[in-house]
Amino acid sequence: MSKKDFKKSAAYMESVPKMKKIMRNYYLKAKYARYLGRKVAWITSGGPVEPLIAMGIIPVYPENHGAMIGVSRTGVKLCEVAEGMGYSTDLCSYARADIGCSAAGGGPIGGLPKPDMLICCNNICGTVLKWYEIQARKFRVPLFIFDTPFVHTEFTKEAKTYVDRQVEDYIRFLETVMKKKFPRDKMNVVGKRSVEAMRLWQQVLDTATAKPAPLTAFDAFFHLALIVTLRGTRTVLRYYRFLLDELNRRVENGIGMVKTEQYRFLWDNLPIWHRMRWLSRTFAARNAALVADTYTSAWCGTVDHIDENDFLGSMGEAYTRIYLNIGVDKMAEKVLNMIDKYEVDGLVMHSNRSCKPYSFGQYDIRRIVQEKRGLPVLILESDMVDARKFSEAQAETRIDAFMEMVGQK
Amino acid sequence: MNSTEIIEKFRTAARDPFHCVRSLKKEKHCPVVGYTCTYFPEEIVLAAEAHPLRLFGESGMVLKADAHIQAYGCSLARSVFEDALSGQLDFLDVMAFPHSCDTMQRLSDIWRLNIKNTVHLDLLFPVHLKSEAAGDYLKAVLERFKKELEQALQTEISGSALSGAISLTNRIRSALHSLYRIRAAAPERISGSDLNRVVRGCMILDRSTAADLLETLADELGSVNFPAGKQPVKRLLLSGGACLHPDIHDIIEQQGGAVVWDDLCTGNRYFDTPVPDGPSPVSAIAERFLDRAVCPAKHSGIDRRGKELSELVSKYEINGVIFLLLKFCDPHGFDYPDLKATLEEAGVPSLFLEVESGKPVDGPTRTRVETFLQILNQQEPMT
Amino acid sequence: MICCGIDIGSVTAKGVLLEESKQIAGAIRFTGYNAGNAAETILQSLLEQAGLKQEQVDAIVATGYGRNSVNFADKALSEIICHAAGAHFAVPAARTVIDIGGQDSKIIRLKENGQVTDFVMNDKCAAGTGRFLEVMARALGTDLDGFGQLSLKSRTPAAISSTCTVFAESEVISLVAKGEKRENIIAGIHASIAARTVALANRVGVVPAVAMTGGVSRNIGVVRALEKHLNLPVIIPENAQLTGAVGAALLAQKGK
Repeated sequence: MSKKDFKKSAAYMESVPKMKKIMRNYYLKAKYARYLGRKVAWITSGGPVEPLIAMGIIPVYPENHGAMIGVSRTGVKLCEVAEGMGYSTDLCSYARADIGCSAAGGGPIGGLPKPDMLICCNNICGTVLKWYEIQARKFRVPLFIFDTPFVHTEFTKEAKTYVDRQVEDYIRFLETVMKKKFPRDKMNVVGKRSVEAMRLWQQVLDTATAKPAPLTAFDAFFHLALIVTLRGTRTVLRYYRFLLDELNRRVENGIGMVKTEQYRFLWDNLPIWHRMRWLSRTFAARNAALVADTYTSAWCGTVDHIDENDFLGSMGEAYTRIYLNIGVDKMAEKVLNMIDKYEVDGLVMHSNRSCKPYSFGQYDIRRIVQEKRGLPVLILESDMVDARKFSEAQAETRIDAFMEMVGQK
Repeated sequence: MNSTEIIEKFRTAARDPFHCVRSLKKEKHCPVVGYTCTYFPEEIVLAAEAHPLRLFGESGMVLKADAHIQAYGCSLARSVFEDALSGQLDFLDVMAFPHSCDTMQRLSDIWRLNIKNTVHLDLLFPVHLKSEAAGDYLKAVLERFKKELEQALQTEISGSALSGAISLTNRIRSALHSLYRIRAAAPERISGSDLNRVVRGCMILDRSTAADLLETLADELGSVNFPAGKQPVKRLLLSGGACLHPDIHDIIEQQGGAVVWDDLCTGNRYFDTPVPDGPSPVSAIAERFLDRAVCPAKHSGIDRRGKELSELVSKYEINGVIFLLLKFCDPHGFDYPDLKATLEEAGVPSLFLEVESGKPVDGPTRTRVETFLQILNQQEPMT
Repeated sequence: MICCGIDIGSVTAKGVLLEESKQIAGAIRFTGYNAGNAAETILQSLLEQAGLKQEQVDAIVATGYGRNSVNFADKALSEIICHAAGAHFAVPAARTVIDIGGQDSKIIRLKENGQVTDFVMNDKCAAGTGRFLEVMARALGTDLDGFGQLSLKSRTPAAISSTCTVFAESEVISLVAKGEKRENIIAGIHASIAARTVALANRVGVVPAVAMTGGVSRNIGVVRALEKHLNLPVIIPENAQLTGAVGAALLAQKGK
């Protein structure tokens, strides 16, 4: 397809080049932060970024970088560097790729800018704690740990006190590192923007309730980058408003991302970054659209717990209650809600060797979905970055068998 | 009782912990509380006149658990759950999950959804141990556990019962420490595999029985005159999670080595640091958790584990370190490369081993151990 | 002094007799299911070749997986120590030895005097070993001997990314189905083994000169791929398969 033809096709979205430009500028700014007199903080994907934005610190996300490494298929090489250092191939491939990249350079953007501080929030996994300890030893920069107790069944009173106290510790940490006062009034503005960004992001994802869906999970994985990295800034609001407009126009005009959308599926777990195109084509060729996913909605799932007039006072709880930090039964409930909301015909689960908190429990969620909704469930074994742990042939066979089951319904 | 008879008691317990605890329950009519990590307040359970049992996973073959946890879950989690699903743990009254790693965290959920005949308790410990907020939170978590256990067992835990339980567990810690010191001074007095079983036995046997046995054993082994003039051995340290492979010690000892100290949750991390005297028993228990040798799933500063390991190495004159890690154990896997580098800087050779619980030490692992010892032996001037 | 080294591997059993540093007999056979018998047969064949009686042999060292089943040996030493000694004898300049055998691969680092300073072995998975190559050769309908030569013809090696033997096999089959040239697939397999081996080697560090021993060293395709990934020449000692047995015999001498 020529560039001209592609621009006319249903797959083309004006937002995409816009987004690429924003991300390019963001990484450019981060890489030259030092020359701009700005400080860089590395922060985990589920970490509380808003205070950094309020403080004028540039946040950098090794996990987002990991995703880019995955998409650019440079993951195996970087993982091998880490393995040469003694890191087992069973460890998280984001961490391995990042450790490899910090040691040897390389990757799609030639490595991340060196951090001035590290902000680690363990609401997504215990792996980030180990990973950030390693980087703190390597770079010898201050490390702040935001410790969010797991919510198996309830968010306890003492956990609430604990996370609230850590918000204050966090502010003090930033004040010490930056040697300046934390701007509380600026924080209010950033907090409000962050809440608005989460709401907009939810609306973006909600457009996929339309049939045919104007975007698929593969598109959401792409547009997600901003809500992860830059929430709390004006750029994000402008962009998601633009994206939402475009999606709404597509809905009005009945334009689906998968032209022949006949089956609608829900995706669970992180994307298989190194096989995005292959997977989207494989499903599209079978008239199937992955219309929603549990992953991208994690960045707006707790918006109801935030008081936008008291962001700092409520963010501890909101960050503790995120999707990956709750019990398997609560996750299953959310999956069931999404199944109903997006009216899907089946569930596709990525059993991700790199993400144990996301993957362990999937078998029970599958059982619950089968019992309560009678839907077929497909489990694909892979890894988000490490392409050595995936077999196209095996996956294709499973997808075909799954499609037969879906077709029989 | 002589030392051989005492050791035999621990061997029996380690060989069939479930049988041992079933009989104990029958005899004493005490409720049994299962748990999965050394960050667990055994004292609170003992004060409730219940019996704490550390689970290590006895099922070698994982069949039923395979339908709940993927194959890339560690063998410890998978086999512990296999034990539960196959009904071997039906004598448990309470199952408690102290927060440790990602896998155990999810295992708790999966357990709660599938095992219905026990009271299920989570201890949501902080991961960060070095902040004031975390210390206060830890105390609150212990208070909650105490309350929940009282409810589950329909009992009340008195302050004096708690103090009594603390002195009992401190007796066990102190006696284990003495045994380790004896082994460090004269490794031939008790084999590594037996000492491993003794430590594990302490997490299985009735605790006051265990304390008595340990004290007698330490007295006997400490006083008996053994023939002097033994050949010098290569002094090794084992580092890792739970060591469920006593046979690794036999291979080491056959090659003229001996593990004289360890950094394991079936060893040093279990008995390190007594519960101090404190304003209240619960905060004293919390103090110990904040101070004791740290597990890699917790944070106590970025250099703490490396420092602790180096200290043990110099204190016990260690010639080589063996990292004994469970396959798929993330917290230990992430710590290993930097720990190895720390040892290298100090000129201490190390060996990396990956094992699975429930499976015997295999040929390639044996080869690795033998080679490592043969390398250490080569370094001596040839005679 | 006459010394004997017996190396009972997972696939083949090997043995040599050394008179001082001269090899006076050598033998190879399949191990089969009884390692003890294999060792006995090897010993008899060595004695026959050299025209000696067992009493005339001063010391015997056994090595390899079956080392503990060799009843007549004076001592059992691990194959890593023996391979190192054998490789040092054949290639005195070697500071790194890559040994890829039937069921495992190892990287050994040596001092100038041939002493082992560090080593690393592959994890439990079979990928990257002789066994892996066998499975792949079967999937491609060729034998192991043709495998190495064939791959040298390839200009554009296929990308084989999976490290799991089962996954890699299905990858190979789907490449075959897509009509990919056989030499490219084989070259891809070799490249993936080389990448994996080098990643393993980096754990102990690679210092030249690099020697390679073990059965897979006979596969020229793997050797070339390793050289490319290491950016270093790889030296294959003569009779590379016997390296472990030679090392065992040398260590038997030393022990006397």
